Amino acid sequence: MKMGRFTGVARACAFSALLLALPHGASGHAIIVSSSPATGETVAEGPLSIHLRFNSRIDHSRSRLTLLAPDGGQQALIATPGSSADQLDAEAKALSAGQWRLRWQVLSVDGHITRGDIPFGVR
Amino acid sequence: MSLFIDIFGYLSVVLRGLILVAQSFTLGGLAFQLLLWRPFQRQLSADSTAVGSRLKTVFGVSALAWSLLTAAAMALNAAALVGTLDVSWGDAASADFGRADLVITACALGIAVMAKGPWTRLRAGALLALALLALGTQLELTHAASRLDARWPLLLADGLHMLGAGVWIGGLPSFLIALNGCHQAKDRSRIAQRYSLMSMVAVTALILGGAIMAFAYLGSFEAIYGTAYGVMVLAKIVLLLMLLTLGGCNYLSVQALHRDPTAPVLRLKRFVEVELGIGLTVLLTAASLTSLPPGVDLSQDRLSWPEIVERAAPEWPPRLVSPDHDRLTISLLQARIAAAEAQQTRAPPASVPGDGVILPRNAEDIAWSEYNHHWAGIFVALIGLLALIEHFWWGRWARHWPLVFLVMAAFLFVRADEQAWPLGPIGFFESFRDPEVAQHRVFIVLIAAFGLFEWRVRLNGERAGNAALVFPLVTALGAALLLTHSHAIANIKEQLLVEMSHTPLALCGATAGWARWLQLRLPGRMSRIASWIWPVAFLLVALLLLDYREA
Repeated sequence: MKMGRFTGVARACAFSALLLALPHGASGHAIIVSSSPATGETVAEGPLSIHLRFNSRIDHSRSRLTLLAPDGGQQALIATPGSSADQLDAEAKALSAGQWRLRWQVLSVDGHITRGDIPFGVR
Repeated sequence: MSLFIDIFGYLSVVLRGLILVAQSFTLGGLAFQLLLWRPFQRQLSADSTAVGSRLKTVFGVSALAWSLLTAAAMALNAAALVGTLDVSWGDAASADFGRADLVITACALGIAVMAKGPWTRLRAGALLALALLALGTQLELTHAASRLDARWPLLLADGLHMLGAGVWIGGLPSFLIALNGCHQAKDRSRIAQRYSLMSMVAVTALILGGAIMAFAYLGSFEAIYGTAYGVMVLAKIVLLLMLLTLGGCNYLSVQALHRDPTAPVLRLKRFVEVELGIGLTVLLTAASLTSLPPGVDLSQDRLSWPEIVERAAPEWPPRLVSPDHDRLTISLLQARIAAAEAQQTRAPPASVPGDGVILPRNAEDIAWSEYNHHWAGIFVALIGLLALIEHFWWGRWARHWPLVFLVMAAFLFVRADEQAWPLGPIGFFESFRDPEVAQHRVFIVLIAAFGLFEWRVRLNGERAGNAALVFPLVTALGAALLLTHSHAIANIKEQLLVEMSHTPLALCGATAGWARWLQLRLPGRMSRIASWIWPVAFLLVALLLLDYREA
């Protein structure tokens, strides 16, 4: 039973085994270390300074912040230039009362895309 | 584009795994050529010419695969950015990862082109330079590159780790080709001794680099069992220990060859085959690991030791009664889930495009899943027991154990999709509209076919030939699948606990698969020892399945 005399069946199996053994599912790895607003925090009405700090250096020009309003509307935020390598900052216009979500997507410098939502309230 | 975004996460880890395999085979092939084959070429006998040509072909194909896979990874990442951020293709591809991938693609392509033909000193130097440049650039795509602290030491450690894995695991195909192709005892002895030395140096580099990264990325003892990253590192360590045991046995074989070049090499060859199989599993596990956030960064929602002990503590009896008839237990279970959820501090959730939404599970869902796992445990226990009984003169009848797979397939057909026929309201043909149900049905057919196939192998005995290798390959493949399944990016306790139980399952599966491989591929005492190991590993899998709980 030498490797060189693999039958067709065993060959096909070895090949399909390799294909099936491929990894399943994925995760990127830039995650939020701290944020303002924090998850579930309630802030006062008016303009809001947003600061997200990640566990790794991020590519600012290929990262995005979006605010989802209580009425379903979306507001794309422009990242404040000059933030530190692991931070994404932005200023939001006056926010009305209700439940908001801050949607973020970042590209870490090693090429992983990560995204998530931070729900917060405005009173 | 939306479909692509849905499968992006899956595809990116697939590509990462394949890239690591191709990269390791390229680095290993080159090291084998430069440190072993070229220096010895003049001293080797005539049949080595054909082997040399085969080695170069495998090396060239690995490099070409590395190049193509890296280009595919670049296109995939760029497409994900274009699809999610509304940026141009040029903007997406000019990100740091795009530039790094471009350099690696070009270097690997250059290696593939230059691999053929005679290797002058200049060509060998150029190949080495291209490989080192590609490896150095690959480091830009690792955790180390994006760290804020201690970046250079971590880059260096990662480089050592990848180089060590390349020379050792990536060199195994070349070593196997050389052992199989060279028929002179002296040639084999010379090759084995040099490769043994190369492996020892490579293993030292791999362990040194791995240890530095483990310390930096785990940060504390608690992160080893409290985070998905830690659990995967632990799995890699166990696989490494398996590899080192095999390597140790091979070292003894090489020493025997040194003393007497005519000593048999069959065991060495077979152990190298298994080393290669487990090595591939480690590389795929590594791909899964590189896509996880380091444990040191996940300080919230870690698993505590009492939580793990509480989950792993055996509960008797297993859930062998379907949830529909088990209402009382379910209500108790629901109370425990609610209590566990109340305890969980919520870290900011994170995902990658295509990860999907984790649906909430109630007690009935969990009871249903536990029931399925526990019955699967009984089937696997039956297989292991019958395979053990088969060893005895009075237990010849037990060789029909593959038929248990048919019963298992029937069980899964009924239980896997509770909404579909025969249990649910959705008709048999109608249920195929759901891709998940269709996928389950395909797997069920495969399990049944696998059972029938292995049954035929048992009936044919020695005459089954290489068809018998299907069973160990598929078992090892299942183990690799379990080790590379998806992870929660943030610490989601329930998912972590499930992962915690699946990891030992995978390790037992790998042991069973490769022990069976050795039983089939080796004669005599080693084969007999292996024939006892794999049924015992199956029994361990069964015990783990019977102890499986989701709350």
